Amino acid sequence: MKILCVTFNDSEVFDDSCLEIFSFIENFNKEAQITSLNFGGDKNQISKLPSHENFYVDSNLESVNPTQILDTLDNFLDNNDFDYILFQKDDLSNYVAPSISFRKNYPYLPDIKAVRVEENGNLKFIRPIHGEAAEGVYSISKSKSLVLKIRKSSFEKKALIEKSRDVKELLLSEPNSKSFKIVETNKSKPEGIQLDEADIVVSGGRGLGGKEGFDGIRELAGILNGAVGASRAAVESEWIEPGNLVGLTGKWISPTLYMTFGISGASQHLAGCSNSKNIVSVNTDPDASIFNHSRFGVVADCNEFIKEIIEELKNSN
Amino acid sequence: MKICVCIKEVPDSDVPSNKLKIDHDNLRVLPSEKVPSIVNGFDLNAVELALRFSENFDNSTVSIISVGHNLTSDVIKKPIAMGADEIITCDEEKVKNIDINATANIISKLIEKTGPYDVIFSGRHASDFDMATVPFALSEILSIPIVNIVRNIKFEDDNLILERVITDGYQIIEAKLPLIITAGNQVGDPRYPTLKGIMGASKKEIKNFTLEDLDISEDELYSKINLEEIYFPINENKVEIINGKDNREKASILISKLREEGII
Repeated sequence: MKILCVTFNDSEVFDDSCLEIFSFIENFNKEAQITSLNFGGDKNQISKLPSHENFYVDSNLESVNPTQILDTLDNFLDNNDFDYILFQKDDLSNYVAPSISFRKNYPYLPDIKAVRVEENGNLKFIRPIHGEAAEGVYSISKSKSLVLKIRKSSFEKKALIEKSRDVKELLLSEPNSKSFKIVETNKSKPEGIQLDEADIVVSGGRGLGGKEGFDGIRELAGILNGAVGASRAAVESEWIEPGNLVGLTGKWISPTLYMTFGISGASQHLAGCSNSKNIVSVNTDPDASIFNHSRFGVVADCNEFIKEIIEELKNSN
Repeated sequence: MKICVCIKEVPDSDVPSNKLKIDHDNLRVLPSEKVPSIVNGFDLNAVELALRFSENFDNSTVSIISVGHNLTSDVIKKPIAMGADEIITCDEEKVKNIDINATANIISKLIEKTGPYDVIFSGRHASDFDMATVPFALSEILSIPIVNIVRNIKFEDDNLILERVITDGYQIIEAKLPLIITAGNQVGDPRYPTLKGIMGASKKEIKNFTLEDLDISEDELYSKINLEEIYFPINENKVEIINGKDNREKASILISKLREEGII
């Protein structure tokens, strides 16, 4: 079996979450011949990916047009056959994965969180549907190749190998004149520790009642050396920047401790935080669905309670 | 400017997960109480963006396109009540439970039959199956470029100037017509239908096309991906509610428990 893993990385840093794709593969085939096709990223790290063959395409992901990536991949696939083409959820995969599947006429399934190997060797893929409320089991009709996008934080990260392998360079396709032009890219990372890297995340939602509620959230996150998160309700009320959004359309996090204040637990939000190891929730409503996913729950006014926690942490340190 | 917006009728997802049930015959998730279905939320954001864009031109039409079996007239006409001009569907038994490949195929035929359109809008994904695929499929089938998750559009010197939302920021994009655009909640709340709009919508005739009208054979509707089963994940989580005489005591108990377990 031949498998292609497509990764996207900024030039200076290497996001090791792409290593999750490799343990996904181990779930159904331990002997697969794996090729990695890497857009951007640190070449030294790429040379140590647990794959058999590595390609690198020099590309600045801040400004690259996704259609250039699509065309590069399209050309690559004209000369190389794979049984599976794997992506992991991120901005570029969300664009390139469905597009390449239709360009090549291969079936496509996004957001795989588990794979089941049947007795006859057939594979069933499991993905969340209806927000995160339910799960669907899919089979895929026979095809030359399949395109799959793996859900983030659903599989362990496989380790890099010690001895590095060659990395072959490929050129990025020129922009297509019929396509659109990216004139400007504006990024503003949220203040403080980054959400998707933090071991502790403190989030606020509608129950905070206003922008001031985030003063307490920030203070607590500061004391715990954690990052600040928010629900869609809080972001849409403009109490906090969109970069702090945790959920289906925001950041996907998997911290050791996730503390929520005034978040009810809509499935959209749970999509982004359900991989947290311990969820602690504070809400005035004892029936809030966030409690069904929490290790510890406190029924209290979140603004009052956050003051008590800050006090307690300061006094007992 | 000739504009269309692709919309999908979906079960209302804004109900708590313990109030949902599974329809095993049709493999979908439904609210357990009789809650009317809705237009997919992001599709209404797309309608809003399309209407705002159309207001820049004296002579523009906004057509709504939808595919499905037994579509609810009052639901899919909501964009008309908001200000769109006409509604075009492919509603027949054979399109029941088709996959994204067949859906994209039918929508592209509807677009070819009733177009050409200068801009084709759609929501970034549908809340029922979260595939986020059909707009990209349309781009490949129709050979029209796609810009995803757009929150604002301007039209300057025959060019579209778009604000595209990306993680931690946005991009300014310059594009030519025709173009496919997807939208999400960053567009802002969709406008409310006016009374006049609602009256007009109720009288508006739905232009329905059959698969035969679109020259699509049943063979072309085969599924590449097959949904075989739906279930609710078993939640074995047992929450421990922290009790105490006041918030101070609860905070103190919570912190000591987190410390005991080495979480902080």
